[in-house]
Amino acid sequence: MGKTILTVDDSSTMRQMIGFTLKEAGFEVLEAGDGLEALERARGQKLSLVITDVNMPRMDGITLVQRLRAQPEFRFTPILVLTTESGLDMKQKGKEAGATGWIVKPFSPEKLLDVVNKVL
Amino acid sequence: MKPGFRWGSGAIPEPVRDMPAPLHPVLRKVAGQEARVLGDRADFLRTELDRVDTLVGEAAHTLEQALMTLSDGVKTQHQLALSVQDAMHIASRGMDSTDAAATVSATIVGTLDAFVGNMLEISKSSMQLVEEVEDIRTRSDAMESMLVELGEIAGQTHLLALNATIEAAHARKFGAGFAVVAGEVSKLADRSTALSATIQQQIQGTRDALRRTDAQVQAIASKDLTLAIQSRGESEALVQALDESTRKVRDLVGEMEVNAGRIETQVGHVVRSLQFQDLVHQTLQACMRELDSLQQQAGAWQGLADALDRGRDEGEALEVLAGSLAEADGMRFKTVTHDSLAAGDVDLF
Repeated sequence: MGKTILTVDDSSTMRQMIGFTLKEAGFEVLEAGDGLEALERARGQKLSLVITDVNMPRMDGITLVQRLRAQPEFRFTPILVLTTESGLDMKQKGKEAGATGWIVKPFSPEKLLDVVNKVL
Repeated sequence: MKPGFRWGSGAIPEPVRDMPAPLHPVLRKVAGQEARVLGDRADFLRTELDRVDTLVGEAAHTLEQALMTLSDGVKTQHQLALSVQDAMHIASRGMDSTDAAATVSATIVGTLDAFVGNMLEISKSSMQLVEEVEDIRTRSDAMESMLVELGEIAGQTHLLALNATIEAAHARKFGAGFAVVAGEVSKLADRSTALSATIQQQIQGTRDALRRTDAQVQAIASKDLTLAIQSRGESEALVQALDESTRKVRDLVGEMEVNAGRIETQVGHVVRSLQFQDLVHQTLQACMRELDSLQQQAGAWQGLADALDRGRDEGEALEVLAGSLAEADGMRFKTVTHDSLAAGDVDLF
């Protein structure tokens, strides 16, 4: 059975591009449009990795990371933040929240897969 | 009024706070105009930005669908290339297709060489056989000549026996014994003649058989060798065509693989470039928030006009305006800082 990755982004284009890249590499992909939906989708799932945007409606990516880390089943699940935010202060917030890595958009498929394979 | 505060179109001059009462209608008019202008422009910009966001979103969606279709096409092409490779692999019995084609060609040419070699040996033996047949025919002719001479001898012997019989009759009783001998000699001459005729029949039969054998051997020696040489030439041409075909298929599969690699690289560029929609969307969202700020400022100006209409003190009304404008000014949102579609940085914690 393949590894399952949850991708969270309010942009359908971004979800499509991330999903396309990961599916081509053989991963199972779940999608969510914001932090709250991501928590719903993650419930009961055995996720190998979560990739989330930061700026999203209803619940942002940093809060999502904190909420997932608070759940025992996701305490050690790799979480990558994929965002247009490149400021050091935001990166620091992501690190403190428990993110595994920070990728600044736009991503190249090759580089994304390289990072994904490193953290898995 | 807070220091450094800015209006929608510039700083409020300090003397405004001390303006005389008759200026009230002018201030109310200015406030109303500012509220309307700011509101109208904000509405216009919001409509246009919405339109841009929609257009970009639709374009991105179309490109996404095209990308998926392209990707499926590339996958299909890749599968076809693999199928061709598998087919060549099976046909070559597990060997490399180039080695297999060379092996098949060598085997066919080797078999044909052996076949033609055998045919040449047969032809050579046939020619020797023809010579042997000719020799037998010559010997038969010689034997036939000898039989003719033997016939003549038998005839002479028979004549001699007849003469001896006549002479024995002349000798009366003294020639009786000699007549018996002459009779026996005559019988031997008759048997010799009969035997000669029989041998001649046998020789004729042998000559007929030799003639038929000669014709058949001649046919083998000429006709079959021509066919074999022709078949070898045709088979060599076929093998060359097979070699050429195999090489072309191999080259085409190679080109397909190179092409698939190029497309994969381009798909990567497309995936990266399509993210412009997200960058543009976020930039537009930041612009929308700026418009919210402008509309709040318009509301503040309208509030000033309404307060003056209700007869509120100008100074107090202006203080309220300053506070509202400062609040609206604080609604600035950070825009997307990424101004390029080059891949961003990666930082693992």
